Amino acid sequence: MLSRAARPALRAGAAASARPAVPNAATFATLREIEDRLKSIRNIEKITKTMKIVASTKLTRAQRAMTSSREYGKTSNTVFENAETKPLENDDKKTLIVVASSDKGLCGGIHSGLSKYVRRLLLEKPNVDIVVLGEKCKAQLSRSNSKNIVLSFSGIGKAIPTFADAQAIADQVSRLPTDYASVQIIYNKFVNATSYEVTPIEAYSQEAIANSPNFSAFEIDDSVLSNLQEYSLSNSLYWALAEGHACEISARRNAMDNASKNAGDMITKYQILFNRTRQAVITGELVEIITGAAASEE
Amino acid sequence: MAPAWKAAGLTYNKYLEVAARVVRRSLKDDIRLAAERRGQTELRFAKWTSGKQGDLTNVADANAVAMAEAGTPKTS
Repeated sequence: MLSRAARPALRAGAAASARPAVPNAATFATLREIEDRLKSIRNIEKITKTMKIVASTKLTRAQRAMTSSREYGKTSNTVFENAETKPLENDDKKTLIVVASSDKGLCGGIHSGLSKYVRRLLLEKPNVDIVVLGEKCKAQLSRSNSKNIVLSFSGIGKAIPTFADAQAIADQVSRLPTDYASVQIIYNKFVNATSYEVTPIEAYSQEAIANSPNFSAFEIDDSVLSNLQEYSLSNSLYWALAEGHACEISARRNAMDNASKNAGDMITKYQILFNRTRQAVITGELVEIITGAAASEE
Repeated sequence: MAPAWKAAGLTYNKYLEVAARVVRRSLKDDIRLAAERRGQTELRFAKWTSGKQGDLTNVADANAVAMAEAGTPKTS
């Protein structure tokens, strides 16, 4: 009986004698671990803060480009508004979707928002070809709808998109072998600095322009019609690219702002944890010294 | 009558690009540098066939080649 009762105590004694070595080592290790964590979080915070500042400085220029490009696109669309152009309601002809994303990530959910919108469109009518601008949406859409992609462009989003970019894309798009009933350009519309809306712009095919009810008012020759169509396509593309770019920069600014805030929260949390652990280690050592001294006095 | 640039296989966009380049080059030096930067593209593109990505090619080069092809049968 006694031996069995004494056993837990014995075990406890054994543990107590082992304690100075093992758990102490453990607390020292965690102290160092916490310190390493803190250091790496601080570095990440530095990076995100810098990215935020870079994005903020780019934002004003991007927004200026966006407002001017919007004027461009709207002016070129007034022709179609006055002519009351409507997209062709023709089921046997394919629709072309141009997705205006960019190459760079780290800007919240704006690319995946575009991809989701495109996927939803594809569920409604699968007879659609896709042209992807930018690596991010290409990666996302190639996983789910790679069969529909006909062209992909990269090298977008390094700087503010130029009209030359839009023209080059428009040329390649109009060179596609298939004759499309309509071209939809899908981009992020800049509502305000924190919200974006995935929106399509319609770029009409030649046939759609020729069939519009008020078209005769403009007295356009048939031979010039293709020019108008190409030009309006590149205008709309430029609009979509510039506005998408402004959205991306602004979204990146917000994302980096949030990331820096989260990093700051984590830093304070880990700082407190670090201080507490250090205090506990010191207290433990003090207790050991005092008990040791008291024991040796006796 | 089709314009000469169309007969040479240029698209309207290419025609505009050439015209814009000429205007930019005739600007004064200080504003020309900034303006010429607006005319540059570094786009690359790839054709996709049945779910597979093809080779990446420079868009400007590909456009030039395609337009040269479009222009040859008419001029010869």
